[in-house]
Amino acid sequence: MAAPAQLGLQNAASPIMEELIAFHDHALMIIFLISSLVLYIISLMLTTKLTHTSTMNAQEIEMIWTILPAMILIMIALPSLRILYMTDEFNKPYLTLKAIGHQWYWSYEYSDYEDLAFDSYIMPTYFLEPGEFRLLEVDNRTTLPMEADIRVLISSQDVLHSWAVPSLGVKTDAIPGRLNQAMVASMRPGLYYGQCSEICGSNHSFMPIVLEFIYFQDFEVWASYLYIV
Amino acid sequence: MAAVPEPDEPAKRKGSCTSLRSYWKPFKLLGILDVENIPCARDSILYGSLGSVVAGFGHFLLTSRIRRSCDVGVGGFILVTLGCWFHCRYNYAKQKIQQRITRQGMKNKLLYEGTHLDPERKQNNGNSSN
Repeated sequence: MAAPAQLGLQNAASPIMEELIAFHDHALMIIFLISSLVLYIISLMLTTKLTHTSTMNAQEIEMIWTILPAMILIMIALPSLRILYMTDEFNKPYLTLKAIGHQWYWSYEYSDYEDLAFDSYIMPTYFLEPGEFRLLEVDNRTTLPMEADIRVLISSQDVLHSWAVPSLGVKTDAIPGRLNQAMVASMRPGLYYGQCSEICGSNHSFMPIVLEFIYFQDFEVWASYLYIV
Repeated sequence: MAAVPEPDEPAKRKGSCTSLRSYWKPFKLLGILDVENIPCARDSILYGSLGSVVAGFGHFLLTSRIRRSCDVGVGGFILVTLGCWFHCRYNYAKQKIQQRITRQGMKNKLLYEGTHLDPERKQNNGNSSN
């Protein structure tokens, strides 16, 4: 999850998020260099004593400031498209999870198992245990196996919501009447927090998402325990 | 989340290990580039600065033109930074892929050692049949 006053991206827990962070660094370096160049040119403009008011054509400079931005855009677009197609790859998933948005909670259904479904409400502040995070904890965490491709089908029961988990690089809109698909895979066990990312009413900020990735054997135990309950 | 202070600890210590990060702001060039946490950023900027000084100063020594030397310096900074950045990121990506393959190989060895899926057994069978 995010540290207090954190501005940058969270640490990656999935391969897609690692790629996104690398692309972000790449784009940021290009932006930094362009900004440095522009700042330098502004300082030149402000300090020059030369004035030239009769320029009729400037073919060379026009060639440069057409071709150079085109090359920069290609340098940015190629890795971006690579990641875009990577996020659209759907390998054979191990598990399918349905995430349905409601006002103002998420409900989850594990369709591969019979009768495995639950609602996930925000944990009120006065119920929090020491060490738990305010406005991020839920009563029922979504437990998933790590190192497995998981297909998440996202939809909504009422208004627009968005199912987002930053450390996994997932943000998918939950649209009523539509089923959106996302792939999720975590490289390590742990808790990953997210929040609803589409304005959906007064409690839009109070419907968090908590994914608990555990080892495969423990996941089977958890799933069978829920059957018994 | 904050640790409960011991009776003899100074009262002014309030941070815990997670909240201390908010007191320590990362250093960002032009307010955007976090050179401490982005791999290869620090090296690229430092090499770029060195290249800029060498190119600009060298041009000035040859031509004694100040403004043009500054232009050459800035151009050198951009080119050297970009070149170092791509070179370093390419090697970093290769290293990450190699680490991932190694990690997967170690995991497979642990999982399948002694079974018919053991990759070393398959390799030894292949060598013995040859």
